[in-house]
Amino acid sequence: MSPTSRFRKDRARLTTVALAAGAVVLSACSSGGGGGGDGGKSQGPGEDKTTSANYSIGTKADSTGPAPEVPGAKKGGTVGVLQRDAFNHLDPGQIYYIDVLTNQLLYNRTLTSYKIDDKGRVKVVGDLATDAGTASDGGKTWTFTLKDGLKFEDGSPITAKDVRWGIERLYASYQSDGPLYIPQWLSGDGNDFRKALPDGPYDGKHLPPSVLDTPDDKTIVFHFRQPHADAPFATAMPNVAPVKAEKDTKQKYDNAPFSSGPYKVGDYKVGKSLTLVRNEHWDAKTDPIRHQYADKFDISFGHQYADSTRRFLADQGSDKNTLSFSNAVAPEMTEKVLNQPDTKARRLLEVQPYVDYISFNTDRLKDVRVRKALALAMPNGQILQQNGGATAGVIATNFLSPAMDGYRPSDPFGKKAKPAGDPEKAKELLKEAGKLGQEIVYAYANTDVQQKVSVVVTQALERAGFKVQKKEVDSNTWRTAIADVKNKFDIYRTSWGADWPVSSTVVPPLYDGRQIADGAQNYGHLDNPEVNADIDRITAIPDVKRAAPEWQKLADRILTDDVPGVPVFYNRQFSLWGSGLGGIKYHPVYGSVDPTGVYVK
Amino acid sequence: MPIPSQTQPRELVGRSPGQLMWRRFKRDRAGVVSAYVVAFFFLVALAAPLISAAYGKSPTATYGLDEGGLLNEFGYPVAPNGGISGRFWFGLEPTMGRDVLTQLVYGIRTSLLIAAAATVLCVLTGVLVGVTAGYLGGRTDYFLGRFIDLLLAFPAQLSFIAFTPVVYSLFVSPEKQTPTYLRVITLILVLWALGWMGLARLLRGQVLSLREREFVEAARVTGASPWRIITKELLPNLWTPILVQSTLMLPTLVTAEAGLSFIGVGIIEPTPDWGRMFAAGAAYYESDITYIFFPGLAMIIFVVAFNLLGDSVRDAFDPRTKR
Repeated sequence: MSPTSRFRKDRARLTTVALAAGAVVLSACSSGGGGGGDGGKSQGPGEDKTTSANYSIGTKADSTGPAPEVPGAKKGGTVGVLQRDAFNHLDPGQIYYIDVLTNQLLYNRTLTSYKIDDKGRVKVVGDLATDAGTASDGGKTWTFTLKDGLKFEDGSPITAKDVRWGIERLYASYQSDGPLYIPQWLSGDGNDFRKALPDGPYDGKHLPPSVLDTPDDKTIVFHFRQPHADAPFATAMPNVAPVKAEKDTKQKYDNAPFSSGPYKVGDYKVGKSLTLVRNEHWDAKTDPIRHQYADKFDISFGHQYADSTRRFLADQGSDKNTLSFSNAVAPEMTEKVLNQPDTKARRLLEVQPYVDYISFNTDRLKDVRVRKALALAMPNGQILQQNGGATAGVIATNFLSPAMDGYRPSDPFGKKAKPAGDPEKAKELLKEAGKLGQEIVYAYANTDVQQKVSVVVTQALERAGFKVQKKEVDSNTWRTAIADVKNKFDIYRTSWGADWPVSSTVVPPLYDGRQIADGAQNYGHLDNPEVNADIDRITAIPDVKRAAPEWQKLADRILTDDVPGVPVFYNRQFSLWGSGLGGIKYHPVYGSVDPTGVYVK
Repeated sequence: MPIPSQTQPRELVGRSPGQLMWRRFKRDRAGVVSAYVVAFFFLVALAAPLISAAYGKSPTATYGLDEGGLLNEFGYPVAPNGGISGRFWFGLEPTMGRDVLTQLVYGIRTSLLIAAAATVLCVLTGVLVGVTAGYLGGRTDYFLGRFIDLLLAFPAQLSFIAFTPVVYSLFVSPEKQTPTYLRVITLILVLWALGWMGLARLLRGQVLSLREREFVEAARVTGASPWRIITKELLPNLWTPILVQSTLMLPTLVTAEAGLSFIGVGIIEPTPDWGRMFAAGAAYYESDITYIFFPGLAMIIFVVAFNLLGDSVRDAFDPRTKR
């Protein structure tokens, strides 16, 4: 789900350093020691669950509501939510980031959605639709039937026309921030699809029935240009949702979305807080995944990780009934959390679908042996440690996250055995290529974490016989700087998260040579015709399950033969919440805390 | 009967104001102690490589990452009290595993070097501009005054953040790393460019009141040149504010430099820096409070000692203000 920036720290404010230091030193006198112990293996982070996660397409029975009751759940109460960043969007059409993705689960229903059982297994089920869709015409045509009894927050029925409106408004030019799979599959790649319906549905025009058809109030038919086996995943994106035409206020819809889920917007102070209250017209019998236990959700913004962690740890007053969708435990407080026994039942540590890479600019580093040497020398473990250590991630061994369907723990560069890199082997390879002392321009965003990462990377590369030129880039312009195809850097950190647990949302955007463009995500600029052809071949496989291992094979091939980068670590979400809440589980697709079954004890 | 004189009248010794000041200063115990402390800090800064060689550690070696058993899986020192041991006297830095003592010694070196250079430049400029404006008066004074106003209105921190990337991109090829000396020079220049105005203002006021005094009149009547009047008549009377101001300016610049590193625009990794140690310490204090203890203590002692020294120097010059 677009480049993530979980570790971008907000720039600390300047304080009178001497004074601040004084205060801390005074407190140091009284409390003395720092992190001790035996490394806390016994209370350490959870087991490494990096087995291939269990994904499947659900049946009609799975798609039928109501959702199975959460044992011990009670109705009533208010759930507090602490978030660091203010939500950038409430309009389901514009939603793409982890925090708002999680939030929309409460008020926005989509054609399909993810049903997560208590073991963390994920099924794609029909949400508004009766099932996960029916393919015909070799996977080009997808038909969905809506359930009975679906209602908006004013009690009016949700029909196929409302879903069509929700999709057609994505063609309007102001809809720029959300994922665009469905409109692009229907009407053309890049931004070309907008030509099919330049102003969206607003001046009475609609897509022809040969593209998007609603033969009756209950049926919606997609006619894609190419076969798309993973359409049920794409229709689970938040923007494949019903929008009532009369209530569509275009840009203003962002502040007042019209609810189809168990909660609706009660009060929204942009940038400050959001209150979600019960939606009386939501019918539990139609919904296979959501509950409506709490009376309301009080969401407030501006809580730094250290702040929210401290409040969850103290667990006082109303903070007992508080959680966060995406705030992680502050890395510097990890040990404190693990050492406090009462947090055991109210924390989770799970692998997210986000991967941190160091990309190699193949336009500048043309010799594959040099790139291999770089990959061998990269100190994955040390980089991870600067990012927060064991609770922030797991050392990555290949390009795909363990959260992907079909993941296999292949390890072509031996990262598990040598987390600090293998400088001897890298040096040999460099010698063989006659490039000993090769100069590497290493760009990094100038944040405190990345500065420290730069130290360990430089040190490791110099031990392997490289010469490193470090370039710090202002963190505000960082993303644009490295997404520039003609950039003057050799290696740089990049990150990517899958939109759904199928690698078709990872391999093509990152390694398809035809997708090289300013601002695009093929940061290594790999353009190998064989790889491109293979991508086309796997995309055409009509069965997602059969395609999954093929993607893994291709990703491994790219990593061993082309080396356009090296995976560094798989991100992990380490969450903590108040003791007064129950029914919290992990959402493995979004990588956040799933609020749909939360109740106040 | 004549009474024989019991004692010979004591011989009167002529002493310059400087000698008087020195005698008074030596009697001020707090001042002397502060002077020693300040001298100690400068000594540590200058002798950083020697200290590090004698102690056998390098400020940039990542001991905790290169050897097992020093840092735990979260990157914090395994040994209690921030990893203080016979080997690492001030402990280990969390996550990077560098030696805190050598980091601190080299950090002090970086900060003091920059602050001292900037102070010297600031004092020279301040004296030059302040005395010129005050003594010449009229239009010169007016324009210099407005120029000072203009510079005072500049937000120093923001200008620095905006200014440095421009300098670096002007002088450094996009494929080469910015050399540390360029960072240091830029820092000194910026601290200087926006740091001298206070002293200039103060001196201008002093000179304005001095130049109407009789001894200046007398000098002028006897035909002394302006240069002679400034150096021989005015400057000796200005030493007090100049010395006091510069002893106050240096610790301020040390903290300003530390502040810039704290927000990430000053000296960057891997050059050790005092200010960055605070930034890191502020992040680590929940799990490892020992880490900020030594840099913090050193900074407090240094700033307090330097301020006390400034007080004592002023008292010694001007005993009427003695507490």
